[in-house]
Order: sequence, then C-alpha cells, then structure tokens
Amino acid sequence: MTESITQNKDTNNSIDLEIFLELGSIGAGNAATSLSEIFQEQISIQVPKIHTLPPHLVPKFYEKHDVPTTAIYMQLTGEADCDILLMFEVKEAKKIAAMMTMIPVEELDPEMEASAIEELGNIVIGSFLTALSDFTNVNLLPTPPQRTTDSFDAILDSFLIKQLLDSDMAIIFDTYFKRSDGNISGILMLFPSRKLQSVLTEKAKNWV
Amino acid sequence: MWTQLCQLLFPINTLGANWNKPPTIDSLTAKPPLTAQVSLPSSVQRLDDSAITEVRVDMADMKVESRPVTLVTNVGSCVAICIHDPINKCGGLAHIMLPSSKITQHSYLPSKYADTAVPALTSAIRRAEKSNCGLTAKIAGGANMFPKLNSSTLNIGMKNVEAVKEALANKGIKLVAEDVRGTYGRRVAFNIADGSVCVKNGNGEIKKI
Repeated sequence: MTESITQNKDTNNSIDLEIFLELGSIGAGNAATSLSEIFQEQISIQVPKIHTLPPHLVPKFYEKHDVPTTAIYMQLTGEADCDILLMFEVKEAKKIAAMMTMIPVEELDPEMEASAIEELGNIVIGSFLTALSDFTNVNLLPTPPQRTTDSFDAILDSFLIKQLLDSDMAIIFDTYFKRSDGNISGILMLFPSRKLQSVLTEKAKNWV
Repeated sequence: MWTQLCQLLFPINTLGANWNKPPTIDSLTAKPPLTAQVSLPSSVQRLDDSAITEVRVDMADMKVESRPVTLVTNVGSCVAICIHDPINKCGGLAHIMLPSSKITQHSYLPSKYADTAVPALTSAIRRAEKSNCGLTAKIAGGANMFPKLNSSTLNIGMKNVEAVKEALANKGIKLVAEDVRGTYGRRVAFNIADGSVCVKNGNGEIKKI
C-alpha cells in the first residue's frame, strides 16, 4: 500500500518535471526574442537544468550563502499563485545593466542600473508568465516587479518559508543568458503553489 | 562536502545531519543523538582551531560546539537562535524557519520550527557539557524582506521572532540581546568562546550584540 503511494508520487513528479521543462523552453524562447530586440543582437537563453528540491535544502544546494545578489521578484495571483524570482550576482547585474543601457560599467549610476534590471526582470518573467497562462489557460495577474539586493540566503529564505507552508517541493530553473562575447548567468526560480502544480499535472495528462 | 568535513572533525555536531532519517520530535528531545562526552586533549583542540574557525549552519539546521569556533549562518525572515553556556564556554546555533511545528505536516526536522528547536538545542547543549547552569540566548533575524508586498505569509519573520521568545521563556532561558525585524538580511556569526554575536546587515553595517 505504502509502496504504491510512493510510486504514484514519483510518477506525478516526473510528469511535473517534463511539463515544467517544456514550459521553461517556451518561456525562455519568448524572453530571448524580446531581449534580442532590446540589445539589437543575438541573445540566447537556455534552460539547461531543472531541479526539484525540498525548500530548506535550496541554500545548501547553491552554496552561495554570502554572495551579494540582486533579485527581481514577481508574484502571480489570480486563479493560482506562483512566485517567480530572478537572481543575479551583483557584479553580473551591473554587467547586464551596462549591456542594456550601453554605458560602461564604471559610469553607470545606481538608478539607471536599478531600472535596467527591473526592466529585464519584467521581460524575462513576463515571457514566462505568457507561456504559463497560454499553457494552462489559467488567468494569472502579476504584481509589479520588486528589486532587492542582499546576500543570497537572506533573499531566498522568505520564499522558501512561503513554499514550505504550501508544498514540500520547490521547482527551480537555472537559466543562462548567452551573448556573443561571453556568458552572463542568472538563476530563475519558480515557486508554484500546490494548486498550480495540480493544474499543470492535470494538463500534462491531457497533453501526453 | 564542507558539512561532511565538519562532521568528521566535529563528531559532536551530528544532530543537524539527520536529513534522511526523519526522527520524531519526541525521540529527539528525549535522547538527542549526541556523543556528548567526547572531550579532546587540549593539543588537538588547538590544532583544530587553526584549521577551522568558522562552521556554517544551514537552513533548518542546528549545531552545538564546545570548541572556540564561530558558528555562521545567514538569515532573512528566518531566525538564528544562539544559546550560550558562559561557564562551560559552549553553545549552539539553530536556524529556524517557521514559528510552530503544528502548521505543517512535514515536521521531521526539529530545528526547522521555533517551538521544537529551542528544547532540542537546549538539551543538546546540556548533554554536551553536562551543565545545569543558566543559559543565555541571543537572537537575530525575522526580517520582512519584501515590505512593499502586502502578503501576510511573507511577513512570517515577526511571527518567528515572537514564537522564539515564547519558546525561550517556556524553557526559562534568559534572552540577553536581539537584533530583529527590519527589511534586510543578516549574517550571524556566533563566537562560542565569549558568547558574542556579530551581526552584519545587508547594507554592510556591523553590529555586535
């Protein structure tokens, strides 16, 4: 009895992963297109990895405890909830802002950097949102993006706590932003609520 | 790997490592899996000091030390509970995430919740040094990282702080200092030797409590 339940859980999880990977590819594709337009050059975004982890093990998994991080956060509300978090190391964020504004890193003022990063968050997260609502036919409303700079663990823990209250798994995307002259990496994390997870699982069943 | 190394070097710190074997809270508080009576000759201790001075405590984890090292953790809405035994110069740090073990069903880690972490940490410290003297506590954390969002679940930091204070009062442990609330993360470094806690804010400010 117990065994069959565990197995059921496992199969559910694998369906979830497949569908999230599919969603991720669509979302990343959308984001890449809009970013390429902004930068006026070929930008590719990959979704090379997807992880599901118990929330409290996430900081240990990344080992970035003290690293100063800039994060953009958006909450989706409506029929189902989802938290989306896009994180860059502070120095990477500077590089991205410099790329977007075409101002050298040394001359970039903080306000300019902040608005560039928020805009990037809007684009990337918005692309994922479009993919998500197209796919699920669920009406999702985003809050305006919030930006914060702090240590990696401190930013993450509010979300992990929220996730713990709802579900025992966090689903995480690692995204890589690729430009012709080198990589800039960021982490995109999605924390779907249990309701959204079940909507997706349901979709996956019809889809396969 | 770091944790494994620490566990090799510090056999006392086995309490937080039970990820895979979910113990019940009762079994843990009654009989903490600590090899408490281990006391190394002073020469070994000194050798260890030069090798490792900072020991990281992960989220929902706790560590007890009787060596003069520094326990380090990063908290946002979580709360770091530092309990110190000033006479035997030992102490422990727990990184709790939620106020009460009653609010979720996945409650196999006592160090994840304020109400179970305090008793578990206290009994672990008492076992480590067989001490009955007064313990003192310092807490840090419980921030609201995204104040602009009016979401009650994200403001769990405040609830965490209140739950920790209540749990400490229930155990009769004196809270001597705190650095809580705010809207920024904190890096907490708990010095076992003198019981001081160094809190570094997200904006770079350093405070000693």
